[in-house]
Amino acid sequence: MSALVRMRLAGFLRTGRALAPLLAGLITLGTLYGGGRAQPAEAYGVSAVVLFPVLAWQTKILLDVEPDVQRRLAQVTVGVARERSAGLLAAAVAALVTVAVALLFPWLVGGVSGPVDPGDRSIPVGLALGLWAHLLVVPAAVALGALASRASVGGAGYGVAVLALGGVGAVVFGLTGSVAPWLAPPIMAAARTTAGDAAALTLLGLSGWALAWSAAVVGGYLWRRRAQG
Amino acid sequence: MRLENVWLRYHRRGPWVLQGIDVRIGPGEVAIVLGRNGVGKSTLLQVAAGVLRPGRGRVTDRPARVGWVPERFPADQPFTVTRYLTGMARVAGLGRAAADEAVTSWTDRLGLAAFRSVRLPELSKGTAQKVGLAQALLRPPGLLVLDEPWEGLDAATRELVPELIAEVLAVDGSVLVSDHRGETVRLPAARRWLVADGSLSEETSSTDETIAVVEVAVPAARVAGTVARLRAEGHQVLRVRSDASTAVSQALPVEPPRSAGAARPAEPPLGMAGELTAEQPEAADDAVESAAGETR
Repeated sequence: MSALVRMRLAGFLRTGRALAPLLAGLITLGTLYGGGRAQPAEAYGVSAVVLFPVLAWQTKILLDVEPDVQRRLAQVTVGVARERSAGLLAAAVAALVTVAVALLFPWLVGGVSGPVDPGDRSIPVGLALGLWAHLLVVPAAVALGALASRASVGGAGYGVAVLALGGVGAVVFGLTGSVAPWLAPPIMAAARTTAGDAAALTLLGLSGWALAWSAAVVGGYLWRRRAQG
Repeated sequence: MRLENVWLRYHRRGPWVLQGIDVRIGPGEVAIVLGRNGVGKSTLLQVAAGVLRPGRGRVTDRPARVGWVPERFPADQPFTVTRYLTGMARVAGLGRAAADEAVTSWTDRLGLAAFRSVRLPELSKGTAQKVGLAQALLRPPGLLVLDEPWEGLDAATRELVPELIAEVLAVDGSVLVSDHRGETVRLPAARRWLVADGSLSEETSSTDETIAVVEVAVPAARVAGTVARLRAEGHQVLRVRSDASTAVSQALPVEPPRSAGAARPAEPPLGMAGELTAEQPEAADDAVESAAGETR
């Protein structure tokens, strides 16, 4: 399966289509960190929110780069389960690289600062919370991008609609006082947590929520793939 | 491998493309899937290969290793021939050294050696089809599924396909192949599955299996009428080409040795040339202005 993951990543990088989401991510982060300095946990929480649609889009592009017939050839060669898994894994690897860039970016442009007041979190704690917030986003974004991929929804228009609804829905349903917060991955809640009181139980609960949401959406993706043949 | 009461449709409310297909192919057997365009030949092959999942029914005893040559190789990929085939060999489970060896061997055998460093999108259709053939054979398959494998191939490789099929059969593999060009006359021992109206029937051997290919030259203005007339008489028109003089000289090497009595065109080509097959060669005499017949 690792050979198929490598092949798909190579295809993604060699077409140059990886540049579009990477540039979009950098522009978004540049805009985010261009307005002033913030402490790591707070800055990274917001960074994770804005990266969610970017990573989902990146996943969709990665999966869509491979021609349909080539995907079927891979399926014949390694079987259905491994073919599906290899696509999700390749997207997760690409997302982790983008996350690494996002974590490094504010330090390069001077967008973060150390603790100012006595009650502020230390830089290592801020980094750890930031890493947690970004890792929380990865499975959710990969799941949404996979659901929006051509292999899942067919036409390009449907894919864009799924991405747009997923991106907007994550913010709208994630607002404080939302009537159906469980409809969205907890990326907004994670951002609020990194900026406020980050109790261990809260972190654990949000992690479980994110994984459950991602698993449900991946289930939808697999069901769509099965329906598409 | 067996297809048990297989039904398939592409959309929930769409028409059934395959309806209750029940067929078995054993080790060392080859079957030709025949039928008009759009009747579901490729669909049947993809079900057999494991690309498509039946809506109803099931496929049992499919060999673990399947090689599938799609009708159109997906050349829109950012790899060179070597990199693509090496990647597919690794995906198929070969180690680095074995993958390199398999790629070198198959690119040499299929005449792809000069294209190893060429990017897939830059390949001609026929060369890309050879890459499609190579990827299916990198590991010896227990089931080889060939969807119109002769399409776009040059003469030498067209001759090679039956040889490759024989090699798979020799190690108790099974082969399914579709064809609408009449190239499967090169597989005289094959079973013949006819797909029509979603169903499959097996053609039994006729008393006289001899098939002849007769080349015909007709004025260009009469091509449509001649083709229609020949088809109406039950002959299979394999192809129509525009320049008989060059095409005949190119086509001859791909044909099996001629039987005694075969004749070359006695008159210069008049316009268009084509080939037809006839179950009874003599029946085509009145349609042939200059003909070369052969027994296969």
